[in-house]
Amino acid sequence: MDEMTELRTAKLALEGVSSGYGNVEIIKDLTLDIRPGEVFALMGKNGMGKTTLLKTIMGLLPLRQGRILLDADPAGKLGPKDMVRARVAYAPQDQPLFQDLTIRDNLRLALPSDKALAEGLEHVYGHFPFLKERLGQRAGTLSGGEQKMLIIARALMTRPSLLLIDEISEGLQPTVIDRIASALKDERESRGTTILIIEQNLSFVLGIADRWAVLKLGVIDDAGQVGPDTQAQIIEHLSI
Amino acid sequence: MTLLLDIATSAAILFIVATGLLTIFGVLKIINFAHGAWLTVGAYCAVAVGQAGLNPWLALPVAFIAGSVLGLLTERFIVRPLYSRPLDAILATWGLGIVIGQLITLGFGRDVQFTANLIPGTMDILGTSYSAYRIFALVAAVVLGLGFSLLMEGTRLGLSARAVIMNETLARGLGLDTAKIRTVTFMIGTGLAGLAGVLLTPLTSVDPTMGVAWLVGSFMLVMVAGQSFGALALACLLLGGAQVIVSTYISPILGGVTVAVLAAVILRISPKGFARA
Amino acid sequence: MTLTAAVPVARRARLLWILAAAAVLLVVFGPYVLDRFALNVLTRAMIFAILAITVDLLWGFTGILTFGQAAFFGVGAYATAMLLTHVGSSPLMLALAVPVAILVPMILGAAVGWLTFYPGSSDFYATIISLVVPIVITQLIYSGGTLTGSSSGLVGYWGLPLGLEGFFRLAGLCLVAVALAALIFVRSDAGRVLTAIRNNETRCAYLGINTQRIKIALTAALAGVTGLAGYLYANASGVVAPENAGFVFGTELVIWTALGGRGTIIGPVLGAIGIGYLSAQLSGDLPFLWQLLIGSLFVVMIIFLPNGLAALATGFRQSRRAAVVPDLVARPVQRKAHRGDAPLLDIEKLEKSYGSHKVLEDITLSVRPGELVSLVGPNGAGKTTLMRCMTDGAAASGGIVRINGESIAGMLPNDIVARGIGRKFQVASVFESLTVAECLRMARTSLDAPSFVTVSDTLGLSQSAIDILKLTGLDKMLDAPVSLLSHGQKQSLELAMVVALEPELILLDEPTAGLTKTERTTIGAVLKTLTAERGMAAILVEHDLDFVRDISSRIVVLHQGRLVLDGTVGEVVNSDIVKKIYSGGHHG
Repeated sequence: MDEMTELRTAKLALEGVSSGYGNVEIIKDLTLDIRPGEVFALMGKNGMGKTTLLKTIMGLLPLRQGRILLDADPAGKLGPKDMVRARVAYAPQDQPLFQDLTIRDNLRLALPSDKALAEGLEHVYGHFPFLKERLGQRAGTLSGGEQKMLIIARALMTRPSLLLIDEISEGLQPTVIDRIASALKDERESRGTTILIIEQNLSFVLGIADRWAVLKLGVIDDAGQVGPDTQAQIIEHLSI
Repeated sequence: MTLLLDIATSAAILFIVATGLLTIFGVLKIINFAHGAWLTVGAYCAVAVGQAGLNPWLALPVAFIAGSVLGLLTERFIVRPLYSRPLDAILATWGLGIVIGQLITLGFGRDVQFTANLIPGTMDILGTSYSAYRIFALVAAVVLGLGFSLLMEGTRLGLSARAVIMNETLARGLGLDTAKIRTVTFMIGTGLAGLAGVLLTPLTSVDPTMGVAWLVGSFMLVMVAGQSFGALALACLLLGGAQVIVSTYISPILGGVTVAVLAAVILRISPKGFARA
Repeated sequence: MTLTAAVPVARRARLLWILAAAAVLLVVFGPYVLDRFALNVLTRAMIFAILAITVDLLWGFTGILTFGQAAFFGVGAYATAMLLTHVGSSPLMLALAVPVAILVPMILGAAVGWLTFYPGSSDFYATIISLVVPIVITQLIYSGGTLTGSSSGLVGYWGLPLGLEGFFRLAGLCLVAVALAALIFVRSDAGRVLTAIRNNETRCAYLGINTQRIKIALTAALAGVTGLAGYLYANASGVVAPENAGFVFGTELVIWTALGGRGTIIGPVLGAIGIGYLSAQLSGDLPFLWQLLIGSLFVVMIIFLPNGLAALATGFRQSRRAAVVPDLVARPVQRKAHRGDAPLLDIEKLEKSYGSHKVLEDITLSVRPGELVSLVGPNGAGKTTLMRCMTDGAAASGGIVRINGESIAGMLPNDIVARGIGRKFQVASVFESLTVAECLRMARTSLDAPSFVTVSDTLGLSQSAIDILKLTGLDKMLDAPVSLLSHGQKQSLELAMVVALEPELILLDEPTAGLTKTERTTIGAVLKTLTAERGMAAILVEHDLDFVRDISSRIVVLHQGRLVLDGTVGEVVNSDIVKKIYSGGHHG
């Protein structure tokens, strides 16, 4: 099996996880199992701890209590460097790009060294061919939709086994959302990438997810398999 | 003509002296007040190389290595606990500067030392006879500036350092080893300061307190320049030029405060200095 | 909560006077036991200790790292020496030199302060200026020719005819007086403002305190004290030199202050005297080693013991201050006459953009007394930005914001707060190193001028603020240090502080974030009372939509920088557009 088609999948388990900022505990005793190769959608109103959870998994925020297991290995106490090495990729919501660096440099920074650069670039061109002609352009000069695609492309550079995505669809045209959705679907189907995605756009996220959960005040409020009634069920949680 | 050369070479010397400080401030947002001490260390490397009877040019690599090794220790033990307390970092590095100054005094005595001029004599520039070494300093500044931009723009380390400057949270999220980048940057900064110390020896007397005078000037220039080497070059040219003009036409003593006063005024008008330019 | 370290206030005050009396005795009788060398060295050291006190007030208490006190000292000393040298020494001149030595540095200090402290100035900038000033002064001295004696300084003028013992006593008495005044001041209600500024300058501004003006006044006043020390020095030493004004001397002052213990007044005094004395004793034998030792000690202290040796001596206690528990007193609200039924807040076509990116566009909104308006919308809709545009006259890029009919364009936050707006931040913005009562008193600084000498034993607040304290139990914790409060208690404290400002309109950014259910209910009830019964208006940014539904009188929906809906709770909850926005289907 060559590098490109090798299955890259991971199982993520959170056991009684607590985390937060300063003396504010935002995630409280949260337990969640994400199966290898599944797309898991995490929803909830703003300020309910979704981003905090991703940052904690990534090792950007200290884990206060509980355990995070990546496959069978303890994670979460490790730094983000080790998580990247373990093939976890993170697409953050807040200031997600180096605006003044070129597209090429933005993509380059996802890899620990330049050795696998050409290979990684080829891989992401497959999903977003426009990147190829515009490698030298500064990321800040891209349109909003192109920037979002670059964020996803950068997360795919390492061909991760676990992909964490924070609110990628906000303010995007439906056509761009479709391209991102098909890239994510393709990654999961061809290589079994596990995806944990935070989203507000239900039609987009329920189109790709297998299971979902709603987070409220740092704990899981409701969860289930994605089915025909899911959207209505979730809107109940999210509306005013 | 002499005035123009004076302006260009003075700016070049200021640039050489300030690069090490800017490197550290740019990436680490820490003002290394031991910068003067590192210049002194560099200059004394030149003294030591001279006393050992070696080729004076050898002082350059020796000073760079000495500077970066000391920088490694400083970053690890003094600066790292203080990243969240930038004002205290100024004080701790100033204290370190005192310590280094006293160690040098213990080793070499407090007298003025003399070193071999790297390039003695004068040369003709368009009919004007001018100090060959100052011309060399101009060349050295250009080489340093170009070399540094090559390092920042062309290498993986430079890219990582720029990423940390622009957005440290994101850099961490992408798995960059920010602690290592900080250490290496600090070492390069102090190494460059050592290098600058050697390059200063033919222009100034060497004694244990020589660094302090240069520290304040470089500090002001770096504050004006912000994080960009282009802006530093511009600041050196403008402020250094003003210094030469004031010294020549008004009074050398007032010339001595030109850089500081202009920097204060520029920062009052535009708190980010030339960083936006 | 009790504080074991708290000593009754009266006893502490008595202790202070006993200490002062003991110091006076030491100073008066010292010359009988000390030799000439010691007298000489200690006189100098005590003068320098006065400077260390000024550095401590600026740096230790207010957070302004300064190397510039040396310059003011030099100016005071040179003013004295120049007057005595060039005009002549006579009793009249010796007397005249005192106000000159104080006023000239004060004027310089006011000018430097004005240059340094402007809205938005950074801590670094103050430090930069504090380096520039001594360098400029030193160079001026060098270029002064016979007027200043250039590099050799001035010597040979006739100073006060006091002799060694006399100068020792004079310097000592001045030091005791300055130290006593400083200690009384920093413990007074007004003195706590300095700590509040160091702690959280933004919060000070949003309590209506003009921090720039306070810092300028402090710089000028301390420059005067420093100038007086310069006068003493010029008389006692009989010589002034450029080094006295130099920045290296300025750094030494900081080192003594740091080693003695910043923020303690006594520490820096002991630091300056101790190091001054030991230096003179030891530098003869081990000149370089001694400096090496001081330098190393300084580095180690800054890293591991930033509060100096004094902190070690007092055993790292959280608060060494006598915590005063003032009585809560309800004060009538000093409400401004309201003009007819004009809206309190009137926003017209407000716009905010960063470069080409528009964060807010065409926002028109008005709020009347008694309304509780909730501002909702998904992340990035521009809610917090809108709040900022209402409290900072420099924030908006277009349109007009009026408060009681007056445009706020160009106003600073403290001006806007003075016009009746209070703002509660998303992350509780309080003063971590003050007590609950002191935080509340800060909120009253702009209404009831604080005393420079005493600690008031009453705390006058509006009834609404007292109600909040009682509801949340904070009224029982007035002497508790804020750093020990829970997250929810800090949120409540900040709310009480903002209400204590007696605003007509209160802006709250996510007041319930991170709170428990009970705490939310309490805050909700408080807000309803404030608006419905006390006639205050409130604008609330909130993500917890259940909370919003319960308490609002009106809901405004922002989406992608535009105001998409403005209506009653019923209208908004049932609107299709809101459902679309929250399920991600709506595009602006």
